[in-house]
Amino acid sequence: MSKRRIGLAVATASFAWGLAAGVAHATDISFWTWRQEDKAAYNELFADFTKENPDIHVKFESFPDENYPTIVSTALAAGKGGDVIHTHAYGWLEQFVKAGYFEPQDLKTVPSLANQPADALIAGTYRADKKVYSLPFASQTLGLFINKDVFAKAGLTPPTTWDEFITVSKALKEKGIYPLANGMGTSWFNEMFVAIFTNPFLGQDFVTDLTSGKTTFKDPRYVAALGKLLELRDYMPDGFEGIDYDTAGQLFISGKAAMLAGGSFDIASYRSQNPSINMDFVAPPVAKAGDVPQVTKFFDGGYAVNAKSANKEAALKLVNWMGTKEFGDKFSALLGNISPIKGVVIKDELLSHVAKLNETAMPHINVVYFRFEKPTGSELLQGDITKMMSGSITPDQLAADLTDGLAKWYKPFQGK
Amino acid sequence: MNSGRRHITKAFPWRRSLWIAALLTPALIVMVLFVLWPLLSAFRLAFYEFNGLQPTGFIGFENFRKVLFEQPYSGWTWNAFKHNIIAFVALMVFENGTAFLLAYALLKALPGHRIHQVIVFLPVVLSAVIVGFLWKLFLHPLFGLVNQTLALVGIGAIPWLGNEHTALGSILFANVWHWLGFPTLVLLAGMQRVGKEVIEAARLDGAGDYVLMTRIIWPLIAPSVTIVTILTFIGSFNWFEIPYVMAGLTGSPGGATDVLGLYFYRTAFGSTTTGIQDFGQGSALAVMMFIIVAGVTAIALRFLRRREIEL
Amino acid sequence: MSAATAPKGELLKNGAIQLMLAINALIMVYPLFVMVMSSFKTNAEIFSSPFALPAHFSLSNAERVWNETNFVRYLANSLGITAAAVALILLFSTMAAYAIARYQFRLGALVLMFFLSGMTVPLKLAIIPLFIQLDSLGLVDSYAGLVLVYVAMGIPSAVFIMTGFLRTLPRELEESARMDGASELRIMRSIMLPLARPALVIVAIQNAVPIWNDFFFPLVLITSDELKTLPQGLTVFVGEFTTDWGVLFTGLTLAALPITLLYIVLSKQFISGITQGAVK
Repeated sequence: MSKRRIGLAVATASFAWGLAAGVAHATDISFWTWRQEDKAAYNELFADFTKENPDIHVKFESFPDENYPTIVSTALAAGKGGDVIHTHAYGWLEQFVKAGYFEPQDLKTVPSLANQPADALIAGTYRADKKVYSLPFASQTLGLFINKDVFAKAGLTPPTTWDEFITVSKALKEKGIYPLANGMGTSWFNEMFVAIFTNPFLGQDFVTDLTSGKTTFKDPRYVAALGKLLELRDYMPDGFEGIDYDTAGQLFISGKAAMLAGGSFDIASYRSQNPSINMDFVAPPVAKAGDVPQVTKFFDGGYAVNAKSANKEAALKLVNWMGTKEFGDKFSALLGNISPIKGVVIKDELLSHVAKLNETAMPHINVVYFRFEKPTGSELLQGDITKMMSGSITPDQLAADLTDGLAKWYKPFQGK
Repeated sequence: MNSGRRHITKAFPWRRSLWIAALLTPALIVMVLFVLWPLLSAFRLAFYEFNGLQPTGFIGFENFRKVLFEQPYSGWTWNAFKHNIIAFVALMVFENGTAFLLAYALLKALPGHRIHQVIVFLPVVLSAVIVGFLWKLFLHPLFGLVNQTLALVGIGAIPWLGNEHTALGSILFANVWHWLGFPTLVLLAGMQRVGKEVIEAARLDGAGDYVLMTRIIWPLIAPSVTIVTILTFIGSFNWFEIPYVMAGLTGSPGGATDVLGLYFYRTAFGSTTTGIQDFGQGSALAVMMFIIVAGVTAIALRFLRRREIEL
Repeated sequence: MSAATAPKGELLKNGAIQLMLAINALIMVYPLFVMVMSSFKTNAEIFSSPFALPAHFSLSNAERVWNETNFVRYLANSLGITAAAVALILLFSTMAAYAIARYQFRLGALVLMFFLSGMTVPLKLAIIPLFIQLDSLGLVDSYAGLVLVYVAMGIPSAVFIMTGFLRTLPRELEESARMDGASELRIMRSIMLPLARPALVIVAIQNAVPIWNDFFFPLVLITSDELKTLPQGLTVFVGEFTTDWGVLFTGLTLAALPITLLYIVLSKQFISGITQGAVK
């Protein structure tokens, strides 16, 4: 009895202490992101964080993708902005680091950096000083969504080679199903679309040659791979030039289309929109039977700490926590994104399949290597690809525009 | 001038000056801080190199040279500029041309003309964001109202906003729908000032509609036409909202709808995929747009004023 | 000349004119009608029967807009920002115009020229330094910063219109009050300004409509969701509900509703306010 009473007294006291501590030291920090659709998941994750760090509360604030860079840069310039900022990787991050807006992270302030594989860390590292400024949060995989039910109903099997892809697509089209849901109506996705279908034709050797300065985008391998894209036009929806990525997603999950070139980042959203969907995520068609299947992989971005934050310590604490296995496990489970953190267990069957595809993945060439200066490979490619798909320029011209544009700042391309 | 006024002036020159200054001060402060100073700075910043948002060094005409003569920037600049010109010409012909016809129709004051005035002006009061999104939905290739209507007569899905040959036209159409009421009612007001007597007199002299229009109305509404032309020009070169909403920051597809406003915004504040900002080149673009708009407006006003006097 | 006595050719011509006006009215109104009707529909209804009336006048889309978005907040922000900006424009520009119109002083013409030259400046193009300026004042991402920009934008033409109007008021009233010993402030407030009310209404509408509808300045100057204006909020909203057309049409309808209703009631003032400046 008395023991219980003591226990109760201790519990009450510690509860009161905790409460008092909470009141006395509560720190509110904010997290800024463009992932508006992930609000519920992040709030759940942040609640876990607050359970472990009762004195820190995290507020989730999201902005439209389209305006996010503007909003972040204007806020940071004004010495404002969230305490922890969700950043894209590579060149996107670099310009903010250059201006001194982010706090460097090292093993002392963010011990969980040790859990990150080397290729992920590159995505958050500033090339000039080799310091990490953004803790990588997810790798994204680009490949081909398959609606298994549609294939089963049509009595077809999903293609693995380009020839199979064409045969299957013809059969689907005859049955009144759009073989490929994609259109060209969303600029940022068009770049991914190109990566998805060209990468299996390019292969790792091309990437090595390109980054070592041995070749440029004028390489016949690249031009030929672009040429393959033109064949896809027959199997995309009517008026595909105006079909945006969201509409494509709808056509796919509603079963009007059988396949969709897309990103693993949408798995969760497609499932929630159509819980009964029976889908697979596979590597895009390879050139010939026996080739290694090649999806495209890149690191999306990371979590950075605002250099002007009034609560830098709390912000670093949060970032450190977001680098732990505990976070990574739950993050992958809730959002269907693949956390780069070592040892993270991915329970979802489809997602672990995607993780497996990652082992032989190609890099998203433009994003990883060509976004550091203006003009970026992205803006050059996005500007030209719709013209190529509508037939007003040839793959050769696109390759030349891309190479010549990048040559402005990318030395290995100069004079080639 | 009368004596009372002079008396005040002489008796309290100090207090009077103070009073006038007090009346002028708030407006002047706002204008200096938020119009004059930013405008002068805009010219200065165009000559600087930036690191992020900080000007780091004076580089002369380098920013201008880049946007005008160095590929790929110069290509983008001229591409956008070309679309501004196309927009101006197209709006002059289709928007103001239609407006002229409508104004003439409304001038007759047939039954129901008041309600027609209210209707044609209705979209003008809506935000360009609403209008842009509305037409973006209507122009959707598969589910949009426009293609669903065309499907009734057997025309297949046209990717209005996705095809480089139709995208700019589609956006211009939305713009005409949005603004048509403005030139219509401005021209109507101009025609109404011509006066019923003049028109009646001309009619009694046996002038038909054509003669009436070309010989009497057209010359007399020259001031209104001048104003509409100048406003259309300014509007075409500041065009931003509708292209932004309907075609996105990059003027998709492939820059087919890119205009200087979008290109300026993208350069200064970063595009979606890269976020790389360049305030220096952005300022250079802004200065050039300013010179185009202010310059052409000034010249046009001069020229057209003189023509009005001659008429 | 009435239609009854008009010759046959005239009748035909009037018929053609009426037809043209009717077609134009259809093109103007039908899209808005479809927008409103679609706001009651489900996605499936919109896609499969775009021309039909909604099967049920269901408010479930409106409920979602109300519950799942910050729509009401955006609406309130727009109202507050527009009201504050218009009030300050009226106050500052009437004061300045009064000084220019009713007193003769050495720099008068120059001051008026200064304001008039402001009319030709597209302030959008000065957004970069404007942003840096507001930043140094700590006014980025605040109501105050946005309101001040709108005030700066509105003052030139407001001063122009008010000066023109105030100049037309007769001197006699003012002079006799002055003889009676009334202060200058009293003369302005109690005698002159009440007479200027029609001009004030025009200036208010001329400024309120573009400010209410503006998208560019909030896009650059406002980042916090809770400070966003209605047109800006609409882009957030469209980003969240891209594929839910019923909800999208509802959002567009609700965003268009306030100003449309006001326009229908005050169409005359709206038209003369907005075309003011182009019609002289």
